[in-house]
Amino acid sequence: MELTALVFLPAAAAILVLLLPARQEHLAKYVALAGSVAALALSLWLFFSFDVDQGGYQFTERREWVDLGAFNLQYFLGVDGLSMPLVVLTTFLTTASVLVSFSVTHRQRLYYALLLVLATSVLGVFTALDFMLFFLFWELELFPMYLLISIWGSGRKEYSATKFVLYTIAGSAFMLVGILTLAFSASTFDIQVLGQSSFQDTVLPLSWVFLFLFIGFAVKLPMVPVHTWLPDAHSDAPTAVSVMLAGVLLKMGGYGIIRMCVTILPGEAGDLSAWMAGAGAVSVLYGAFVTLRQTDVKRLIAYSSVSHMGLVLLGVAALGNTGMVGATYQMVAHGLITGLLFVCVGLMYERTHTREIARLGGLARQMPLIATGLVFAAFGSLGLPALAGFIAEVMVFIGSFEEFEWAALMAISGAVLSAGYMLWMLQRVVFGPVRPEWNGLTDQRHWWEHSVVLMLAALIILLGLYPPLLTDVINPAIDSIVLRVGA
Amino acid sequence: MPFLEAAAAKSPTIDEWLLWAILASPLTAWGLIALYFRRLPAVAGYLAIAGIGISCVISFVTLFNVIDADGAIAQHTHEWFTAGDVVVNLGVRVDGLTAVMLVVVTSVSLLVQVYSTGYMAGDAGYGRYFAHMCLFTTSMLGLVLADNLFMLFIFWELVGLSSYLLIGFWFHKPSAAAAAKKAFIVTRIGDLGLLAALLLIWSRAGTFDIAGIHHWAASGEASDKIVTLFALGIFAGAAGKSAQFPLHVWLPDAMEGPTPVSALIHAATMVAAGVYLVARFFPVFEVSADASEVVAWIGAATALIAATIALVQTDLKRVLAYSTVSQLGYMMLALGALGYVAAIFHLFTHAFFKALLFLGSGSVNHGTNTFDMRKMGGLRKKMPVTFWTFVIGSLSLAGIFPLAGFWSKDEILLDAWRYDRALWFMAATVAFMTAFYMFRAIFLTFFGEYKGGEPVDHHDPDNHFHGDPAHPHESPWPMRAPLLILAVPAVLAGLFNVNHDFGDFINHALPELPHHDESTFEWGIALSSLGLALAGIGLAWAIYYKRWVASASLREVFLPLAGVFERKYFLDDIYEDIFVRGIFHRGWNRLLELNDRYVIEGVVNGSGRLVRGVSNGLRPIQNGLLQTYGLGFAAGVIIFVLAVFAANPL
Repeated sequence: MELTALVFLPAAAAILVLLLPARQEHLAKYVALAGSVAALALSLWLFFSFDVDQGGYQFTERREWVDLGAFNLQYFLGVDGLSMPLVVLTTFLTTASVLVSFSVTHRQRLYYALLLVLATSVLGVFTALDFMLFFLFWELELFPMYLLISIWGSGRKEYSATKFVLYTIAGSAFMLVGILTLAFSASTFDIQVLGQSSFQDTVLPLSWVFLFLFIGFAVKLPMVPVHTWLPDAHSDAPTAVSVMLAGVLLKMGGYGIIRMCVTILPGEAGDLSAWMAGAGAVSVLYGAFVTLRQTDVKRLIAYSSVSHMGLVLLGVAALGNTGMVGATYQMVAHGLITGLLFVCVGLMYERTHTREIARLGGLARQMPLIATGLVFAAFGSLGLPALAGFIAEVMVFIGSFEEFEWAALMAISGAVLSAGYMLWMLQRVVFGPVRPEWNGLTDQRHWWEHSVVLMLAALIILLGLYPPLLTDVINPAIDSIVLRVGA
Repeated sequence: MPFLEAAAAKSPTIDEWLLWAILASPLTAWGLIALYFRRLPAVAGYLAIAGIGISCVISFVTLFNVIDADGAIAQHTHEWFTAGDVVVNLGVRVDGLTAVMLVVVTSVSLLVQVYSTGYMAGDAGYGRYFAHMCLFTTSMLGLVLADNLFMLFIFWELVGLSSYLLIGFWFHKPSAAAAAKKAFIVTRIGDLGLLAALLLIWSRAGTFDIAGIHHWAASGEASDKIVTLFALGIFAGAAGKSAQFPLHVWLPDAMEGPTPVSALIHAATMVAAGVYLVARFFPVFEVSADASEVVAWIGAATALIAATIALVQTDLKRVLAYSTVSQLGYMMLALGALGYVAAIFHLFTHAFFKALLFLGSGSVNHGTNTFDMRKMGGLRKKMPVTFWTFVIGSLSLAGIFPLAGFWSKDEILLDAWRYDRALWFMAATVAFMTAFYMFRAIFLTFFGEYKGGEPVDHHDPDNHFHGDPAHPHESPWPMRAPLLILAVPAVLAGLFNVNHDFGDFINHALPELPHHDESTFEWGIALSSLGLALAGIGLAWAIYYKRWVASASLREVFLPLAGVFERKYFLDDIYEDIFVRGIFHRGWNRLLELNDRYVIEGVVNGSGRLVRGVSNGLRPIQNGLLQTYGLGFAAGVIIFVLAVFAANPL
């Protein structure tokens, strides 16, 4: 019951928000905050009662759902060491997103309701253990995202929202073919069972199935060359949506690759691992090089995400436990760090109404607190030790170096490039002479602004200083996956 | 000296918590200042002094404890985390090398903090300054104490962060913001090598432990090629932090930070880290002759290139900056020539006299509001303490008997002579140049007529200059006292190794004692280097004091060469204009961006347009007219029936 409660808690809060009378619209944010904090509390309770000595799924609940004759759709939820951190990340960033949205004034009820539905769909993706249920949650996420970007966004928001949806659906179409092929072969959608099956007499060759699933997830990750929806979606989305997008939605891709591609089809993953490593390393470098050309702060962060999510793919590709633990750690770390980057940039944008790097400058004097947050997040992003991203990156490098030295060496060059674009951005945006046109702007000053920056920063430091908090949870789950890959 | 009498084979008895306290003390000061006392200047400075002071005291306790144990090793390790197959530990390791470094770092840092309370007085960022200084010192201490490469790398990067924050301390100045960025990125290029070495050692040796790596290298279980690659990776990291050619370009720009920061960077912390790193993994370099040779030649080249650039600088701090690069080249040369003791001994003496010189230049700046030697002159009478201590530091740096620099430099020259005569020749040339440029600086700064300094710009809100640059005065006591204190080791520190006590002490940090010739003095080498240094001083005296030859006409004579030196061998231009802007920004990066924008997006948007085009083409079919549909239906049926009959003739 715990997981059902967790997954649908945000949705229930969404209904409450929608039921608010128009006169009480200003209460929407508090209801949303209460809902997201409750979900966060519940997920933390699950996290700390999670048994780290056990590798399998916990808190499982299973109900027959739709009888299809030969086999059934199930309502089947559960978490293991791979999904547990991502679940907490989701509730955590949902709370952060609600907080940064406190300045939203346009159609608040619908806004918060959509944000909460988004949280429910992502939580569903991370907890579903029935492949069709997974797919439903996967598709459900598109609906709130489309509306959030196209109503509360800026710039070419309709174009970006449509592009986001079409890109994902194109990927999902392949994924669905893959899912059905597997399900008809094994007569089940049960991910746990699929993860122990060997498939015979499939309609399509298994390597095709692997690729089809992989395409669906790679679009989400995103992997070069199917990444071009990301910069558009990010730059035109409102701050909270950028936080959710970079923070948790991209992780659905990485999660899917580990949970489905690698676990269900380990043999095919082994055959294609060098290609995955290459694609990961290319994403890291390509993303970083293109980031260096960006002149819009949000696009810059978006492209840096392409680069950093390439590390997830690289870590997985080695199919060893160090690399995959690193990849999982990287998903959490990137979610927090990039989330904080978007929060700080959002706070700046609210005040200056520009994201053009050339027009910004000297903000460290006018907005010292926001500037400090941005500097902190930028160093997190470039992999500074004692912050979460470092542990993740080094584990990915170590893991991939053992299998693919060339790919790991390519990827570590990304460390110089990330220092290049992040420090260049800082130099232009927060340092340098004060610009008179930004005089008189307020610094970060509301309690919700302080709390969102502090909670993200605190967790980034905590995960940088005390990795066992996550690695102890992740290790057993990854070990059991790697065991299957090796067999 | 009864320096080392205790019998060997016992390990230091110092409690583990005291070693961690060396780290924790400045770290706590950092936290307290950052969280609570940023706006309370009175507290921030003293808190920093207290934090670093405590770790300085413990460092001395550690040193004496390790001396009692004859330089043996003590190590305390704890597991930090496990990720997959990788187990990462946190631990401290003390031995002779660590103990010496601890004392150098904390004592220089402590004096710099004291000095800073005077130098930084009135600055708007006073609290922030001391917080960063504490972080800087903590990072360096962690680097020195780390017992494994992973932990060392963490503090190594934190040193990079602190230097970024301090070099860019006056971040509103575009030049400072740019210099901070440059320092971080250039050193990070070197760090790639260190990171690659870290990956390599895990995949081949399965350990990060320093003693384990020493053992791995010596055991011969790895091929020469792997050991050499590992050593070169380590050296690449060291070359970044210790400003070795071709990665030295960040160090002179780092002058943009407050002067006490430069003193710390150039003497005890950042640049010392690279030399320490190579010394730490010296047993690996001993195994790989190829790697050692690379280190030796890069070191010699660095020493020579930097010395030639220092000849033509007009900014006092830049003269010192290039001299640091040059002396670091010396240390690397020594390490490459397998002169482990000579290198660390020079690091040790250099820390004192270079900190002294930098703090002296800061004192000059405090009186004149400038570092431009063309605006100085005649300060000998006005700032006597600064003058005399600066001369002592310069004599020591120039290697004049019996000051500290003479002894350590002499050992390096001796090692170079034994390793390769060509390296000795380069080093000796550098010794001559060093004496020349330092005394050129002294004559320009302290002799002749005073040229007025730099007028104070009262419109600049960030300028906190107090006095009147037209009438410079000696600096206040918090600044004078560190100069006087540092002058003592600048004179005497060389005596520690006259009987090779220092060398014996730090040699115990190595798994086995070096086998090569250990005599540390040769009259020929000593007298020739002394002669060259005196000649350098004499030449400077003739040109810049007696003015027998006009320096401008001298420049004419050496014109093409002087131009190359003044432009710093065009390295900055090559890096920034050709590589960064040309090849990458306008070339490769742009190509990829265009690929993104036109090729990939072309396919994406093109497929969208294709779908729309096809749909538009098909739209007339569904026009809502039933008779059209009926016609189509009928045609379809007929075609279907015909097809069936065609396939199955009756």
